[in-house]
Amino acid sequence: MNKFSKIELDFIIDKVTNSIENFQTGDSFPTEISLLNVSELKAIIKKNGWNFNWKNEFKQPEKDIYKLTIVGNPSIIQGLISIEVKKDHVYMHLIESAPFNIGKTKVYLGIPGNLVAFACKLSFQRGGEGYVSFIAKTKLIDHYKDTLGAIHFRGHLMVITTESALKLIGKYFKT
Amino acid sequence: MGLIKEPLDVDFVVDPRPLTKEEENAISEFIKADKEKRLAKTKRVTKKTSKQTEKLS
Repeated sequence: MNKFSKIELDFIIDKVTNSIENFQTGDSFPTEISLLNVSELKAIIKKNGWNFNWKNEFKQPEKDIYKLTIVGNPSIIQGLISIEVKKDHVYMHLIESAPFNIGKTKVYLGIPGNLVAFACKLSFQRGGEGYVSFIAKTKLIDHYKDTLGAIHFRGHLMVITTESALKLIGKYFKT
Repeated sequence: MGLIKEPLDVDFVVDPRPLTKEEENAISEFIKADKEKRLAKTKRVTKKTSKQTEKLS
């Protein structure tokens, strides 16, 4: 067991409150982020519209998988994020909105922003000063610069710096 | 509090692969440089503020 996975086992996250917005009605719903349970994996499969292999992701001890749910409705997962705490930042391996939150017919807005802001918050909590990195798809690099304030610096690598992380956290998390 | 409203035709997708050692080092270097830049900026502001305080007193 490496030192990071030991920290992961000791780490219990408090429930954090933020919100997502219903695209049709504009209503806002408070949300919470918590660790994904193994029992919930059964439903997170390609057959149900999920694009990535979350079961495989879950098996890797260096990664933590968090789910975003609406407060009072914990059984419906709105989105997932897979992150790894590195020595100086948090690396985002995977992020996916639930199948009903993808494309032009998406039900809720704000799922990815919520999850990325959470990764920034976790980075601060774990000594990474808010830094979050990820590998972007070419066509989305500009979108991430605009919406997340991420910096593109080499190949497909992108980094959210302390300054942008603070802005994102300010948008999503009540203090 | 606000929301980042992604356009309906854009979904947030990252390239799902682990970082290579080289990429990991590049990120660490970037972070190190960014921290130094931030620190230098803070020092400049502090120095400026101290000088202004001296002038006033």
